[in-house]
Amino acid sequence: MIEVLISALVLASIYGLVAIGISFTWASIGMLNLAQGFIFTAGGYTAWLYAQYAEGWGLEGAVLSVGVLVFGMLGSALAGLFVGAIAFLPLQDRDNFRTRSLIATLAISLVGTQVWLILFGPQNKPLPPVFGEGRLEIGSAGISYQQVGTIIVASLMLALVILWMRSSRRGLQMRAMMMNPLGAAVVGVSVRSTGMRVLAISGALTGLSSVLLAQVFFVSPTSGVQPLTTGLIISLAGGLGSIPGTVIAAGVIGLAEALTARYLQQSLVPFVLFAIVVVILIFRPRGLGGLLEDVRE
Amino acid sequence: MSNSPRLVGRRAYRPHWPVNSARVFKRRRWPGTKRSVLKLSGRYNPKTLRREMVLTDKKPMFWSVGLAALLLLPMGVASERFFTMFGIICIYAAINVMWTLIIGTAGLQSFATLATVGVGAYGAGYLSVTYGLPWPFMLLVGAVLGGLLGWIISLPARRLDGLYYALLTLGLSEFMRNFVTQSDELGGKFNGALFGVGRIIPADLLTSRLGQSLLYLTAFIALLIALVVYRWVNGGRTGLLLRAAATSKEDEAFSSALGIDFNKERTRVFIIASAVLGFLGAFYATYIGGTSLQIFSLELLLLLLAMIVIGGLGRAEGAVVGTVIVVGITQWFTDWGPWRIVLVGVLALASVLFTRNGLFGLKAQIEEIRDRRKALHRAGITSRFAEYLPQQAPEVHDKSEIVGRVFERSLRERLRSWISPELLAEHEAKPLGQHSDRLERMLNYFRKAPIPDKYVVYCEVPFESYRVVALSGLPGVPPRIVDDKKYATLDEAYHAVFLRRVNDLRAN
Repeated sequence: MIEVLISALVLASIYGLVAIGISFTWASIGMLNLAQGFIFTAGGYTAWLYAQYAEGWGLEGAVLSVGVLVFGMLGSALAGLFVGAIAFLPLQDRDNFRTRSLIATLAISLVGTQVWLILFGPQNKPLPPVFGEGRLEIGSAGISYQQVGTIIVASLMLALVILWMRSSRRGLQMRAMMMNPLGAAVVGVSVRSTGMRVLAISGALTGLSSVLLAQVFFVSPTSGVQPLTTGLIISLAGGLGSIPGTVIAAGVIGLAEALTARYLQQSLVPFVLFAIVVVILIFRPRGLGGLLEDVRE
Repeated sequence: MSNSPRLVGRRAYRPHWPVNSARVFKRRRWPGTKRSVLKLSGRYNPKTLRREMVLTDKKPMFWSVGLAALLLLPMGVASERFFTMFGIICIYAAINVMWTLIIGTAGLQSFATLATVGVGAYGAGYLSVTYGLPWPFMLLVGAVLGGLLGWIISLPARRLDGLYYALLTLGLSEFMRNFVTQSDELGGKFNGALFGVGRIIPADLLTSRLGQSLLYLTAFIALLIALVVYRWVNGGRTGLLLRAAATSKEDEAFSSALGIDFNKERTRVFIIASAVLGFLGAFYATYIGGTSLQIFSLELLLLLLAMIVIGGLGRAEGAVVGTVIVVGITQWFTDWGPWRIVLVGVLALASVLFTRNGLFGLKAQIEEIRDRRKALHRAGITSRFAEYLPQQAPEVHDKSEIVGRVFERSLRERLRSWISPELLAEHEAKPLGQHSDRLERMLNYFRKAPIPDKYVVYCEVPFESYRVVALSGLPGVPPRIVDDKKYATLDEAYHAVFLRRVNDLRAN
């Protein structure tokens, strides 16, 4: 049972980060960033490149691990800024922004996959284990360091971001934009620079989840698809724009996935997830958080 | 944009032909409906005054030419590469037309298109492989499965709006792929691919040119079916109202006030489109004799979206032309590898960033830009000739009068700039006879001044006393004397008249 819970938590923390990135972007700038898969892969490849060089420089242990995490986040943040420069800045004040930016981000993810394919080839790239190898024995169950590390790092990062948003001037700007974009613009919050900042931060969160997921799976040109769809489902169930809602939804979805895989059948996972989301949305059309009932329209 | 009145000089060409006006015109209609085959209207030719018929809607013309080209080109070339490429074009175009029906007419931002197609393909294909189901039943099964899936995924659409629904359905393909990969019957063998699905054209015929042509013909018919369904739903009453309602929330309320159950109609359109998508999936399976997991890949979905976006969202012609462009790129330049997908993506990005609605929205967009330029230009003219512009002088009926006024004004301005002591001296020296070019032009202008208040020389005593008078312009009313100056010679009097006219020219 503990193993199931732990694996649910791991899934929740990895996909939850992606979901919070999507949710955050949508709430503050009204853009559905479906290039999140591209940003995800960008982080993975940056971390891989760093790892390649770092081994050449003879870096080891904690320095290497922290570097992998930092470079993954950095690469994804840059990719987020790139997406913003293409899909957000030029379209931001045009009519039909939402649909057009949605299509633009989809086009970016279409191109992005091919660019990774051209640059890095179709082979899977492994990342060095960040948290070391080994297991922690708790009672009868064994938990690997990687699982513990994933949960701790993801929650820490999330807490940091929330704290920063609560306490800093920039965070205040972002929260203002999440509450009412027009009002924020009226009182002097720059939509453009705040939007780019939001994209960079969501990118960094996605990059972190990319590195964390790459501990289990590999980095490949299409490795962003699965996190993107699961992240979408979670952010949808959690209510776009609500961080508590998204965290709860991530927990529910992670638990459902782990439970179904354990006690039912792996092939039923998609249907269970889909059914859960549909049920949630039928009762709460704006998701669990549901704070954006009338704000965005 | 298309509803706004067109400006003079931008009249579109419309095909027209003379008709026998003695005969009664009978409008052709599609059997069983009141819909006319061609949108024709009668008129008298403004030049020849003969009775003629005008084709008001040119779209059927373009459609028939385009579809004929699509049908005949591969059959004429008859190379295998062409057949493959155009077969894919037909099937993808059919899928895209149905997707357009969902996005454009029903106003549902659904990404479940390929999932529906895939369910049709896998369901029908599986039955065909396992139980040897013949192809007509496969198509039927595909349609039923597609409709069923459409019904299921349309349930949340009633509660969710816009992008939430888009997000929900985007995940569907990925889930289907997972399901197929992990299910024992489908995914166990050959990595999820199905082989040996029954075909419409017998396999032994397929190697010949006739067989290839027939196979292509079936794909073309599939496209035609999709287009007919599109026309039937989109052009019908529900389609009309849904399209009106899809534009905004208020219209949604308006349509329900008219007694249209918006969500019900929308769901109906969605289920019809999904059934056709399932049918197309089953057809695709019989067409290539199998199916693979590629149909559930996000990449293919994005490629299809790129086709629609490049052509123009919400238009059947956009869907078809976009498909031709994108499939043309991906199938023809196969040796470019991943770069051709990059090219497609860049095209889609460009059409989102720079055009309002893809290729087929370009015309309206260019016209709008041109209108804006014209308005700016006109505003520039307004500042120069304020009171003489059509907008400024609505009381003037004859527009050539306005042009005349504008010309007059600019002429006077030019003449005024020529006034100089040298010119006056030249005239004083020799009022009659040959003059310099400028003086001659000025005198010409003075000569054609209207009769009322025109200055003339009045001879009091021949060769002794002349005066300057102004004509009244009315019969029976004598001219008025302008001042009490008297001139001894005719030349002096001429010059005096000239000076007065120059003065008047200066004054306004």
